[in-house]
Order: sequence, then C-alpha cells, then structure tokens
Amino acid sequence: MKQRHIFIFIISFLIFSKNSIAQVQQDSAKVKEKYGLRVGIDISKPIMTIFDKDQKGLEIVGDYRILRNYYAAVELGYEDKTTDENYMNFTTKGSYIKMGVNFNAYKNWIGMNNEIYLGARYGLSFFSQTLNSYSPNVYGNYIEADLKKVNTEFKSLNAHWAEFIFGIKVETFKNLFLGASAQFKMLISSKEPKNFKNMYVPGFNRVYSNDLGAGFNYTISYLIPLVKKDR
Amino acid sequence: MKKSLLILFLVLTTILSCEKDDICIEPNTPNLLITFYNKDTTDLKKSVTGLSVWIDGKEKIYDTKTLDSISIPIDINAENTHYKFASEDIEDDINFTYNRNDIFISRSCGYKTIFENFSIENYSQNWINSIEILNTTIENETTAHIHIYH
Repeated sequence: MKQRHIFIFIISFLIFSKNSIAQVQQDSAKVKEKYGLRVGIDISKPIMTIFDKDQKGLEIVGDYRILRNYYAAVELGYEDKTTDENYMNFTTKGSYIKMGVNFNAYKNWIGMNNEIYLGARYGLSFFSQTLNSYSPNVYGNYIEADLKKVNTEFKSLNAHWAEFIFGIKVETFKNLFLGASAQFKMLISSKEPKNFKNMYVPGFNRVYSNDLGAGFNYTISYLIPLVKKDR
Repeated sequence: MKKSLLILFLVLTTILSCEKDDICIEPNTPNLLITFYNKDTTDLKKSVTGLSVWIDGKEKIYDTKTLDSISIPIDINAENTHYKFASEDIEDDINFTYNRNDIFISRSCGYKTIFENFSIENYSQNWINSIEILNTTIENETTAHIHIYH
C-alpha cells in the first residue's frame, strides 16, 4: 500500500513536471528556425540570352546560414557578351566566382524567413577578350576610316574586385525564395590586354573609367533545410 | 540605419551615372602639320598666296587661302597619301609614304593611328623649293611635322 502511494506520487510528479516544463517552453515561444543550403539561379541572365543575341550568361547562386543573421554566400557564373562601341566591337568570354557574406537586417515575425540584406563579396574572373573590329578615330570626314575586321584575341586575362550588395529575399512558397539585389563594384586589379583594355569583365560587367561597376540580379532559389536551431 | 543606406546607395549610383567616358576628349589620329618658310631666309615664315590643298581626286581642303601653316589629314586606309598643293595656278604634287600603327586610346575614342617612317617618296618643284621632314614619327599635333620652303 505504501509502495503504491509512493509510485503514484512519483508518476504524478513526473507528469506534472513535464506539463510545467511544456508550459515554460510555450511562454518563451521557443521556435525552431531553419538552417540550410539555399541554391538557385539568376533568372535575368537566361531571359537576357533570349532577347539579346549579343549576350549569353548563367549565374548560379548559393548561400548557407552560418549564424542567425549571417549567411555565407557564393555566386558562380559564365558570360559571353559582345559590346558595340562607337569605334570598335569586342566580345568578352569567361567565368567568375564571388564569395562573401550577407547580413540580414530584417526582423522577421515568427515563422517568416524573409531578408533585407547587406552583403560584401570578393570577386574573381578569368576571361578572354576578342577585338572583332575597329576603325581608327580621325578628325573630320575628309578621309573616312575603313572598318578593320581584325579578330584579335587576348587570352588568359583576369580581374578581381570588391563588391557591396543591397538585396531582398522573400519566401514565396515553403522553402522557395525570390530575390533581387543591386551590386556596387570596385576593381582591385586586372590583367590588361596589350594595346586594348578590359572594358567589360564577366561578373563585374561594364568597367567604368574610374574602375567602378554596377550590377543587378533577380534570383529564384530553393532552401534545403539541413538543421533546425532554436530561435 | 536603413535610410542612410538608401542614401549611400543613391550616391553610389549617381557617381556611376555621371561618368564621362562616353565622350571622346583625348586627341585622336594626328593631322600633318605643315609650316611654310621663305626659301631665301630659311628661318622666316612665309605665307603662300592663293593656297589650295587637296588629295588627288577629292575636293579641296583649303581653297585659295593665304596661310603660313596648315593641318591636313593623312590617309589612314593606305600607306601613302598623294597631295596636290597649288599656289595661285601653279600646282605641285607631294607623295607621302609611311607605316601605320594603331594605338588604343579609350572606350569612347577607340584607336588612333600614328605614322612611322614618315617620308616623301617624290615631289614636284614648280613653286615649292624644298621640303624638310622634322620628325619621321607623327604621333601628336604639338609642333609642325614638315617645313616647306618656297
């Protein structure tokens, strides 16, 4: 009889205590957040490929949540672009990688996974330039310069740069994100072709005269949730 | 925080859009600068009266002007340029020969041609007495490239 009482006491204590623990958890709103690998593509590049015959490209984007508000991010891409200037026409072909971090400045409500982020990247590109044609620039029009179709290829060129990003990501369906970002770039250094110039660099885009650049991307990406951590 | 970032972003895009690399301001392919001198006192400039200059088969660049120095284009599509120089009704032929070298300038200017081994293959001496080439490489327009004595 005594033993039975003790038994009931222990069980009831356990149930009680378990209930009370659950109560505490609910009160402090212990919510799990998804951490994982997010992969996607820049949808603007395939669209540009369809509408602009002088432009082909692909960019794969990926990030991994390392801390609550920090994501390690990578972009890998390929570009083949022909640029037409007043006195010349050239084609740039090559691939690039950008690595860095995004900081999410957006305070999400429970269960939301949206981002307004700031990012920094280090970019590296390997490419070739082909000067398709040019005509020497002359004063006046007494003698008009003939177009010279030279097809001079400048191989094994490279460039690296720093990049600052401002972007958003919105979870539209479960684990599916739509994103947009604007990038501001600064060329650190580049291997320049002889008697020509890197006026376009894959991943960097147009190189402005003071070695600055800009870019945009529109991404669709999918989150592969690997671990769940407490908020 | 968010507001200041937006301002920063606007400033950066403004810097980019205010770029002036669409307008060519650097010097491009140099013209040939000729100064006319007196054949008797060779350190004195002497104007040519009724000077007409043209490339054989084209319209006149200078038409019956009185000048002591001129600037004329060199044919970038060939390795020689055949010029006609007339003083009043007296014509002279000058045939310039050279090698071309195209030098990259910038995005907006493209390439310019500079002329090397610049020489005169032959010339007639109806009103022209002699010609002196000062520099066989023509790459800028800072000083006269040839002197013509008459």
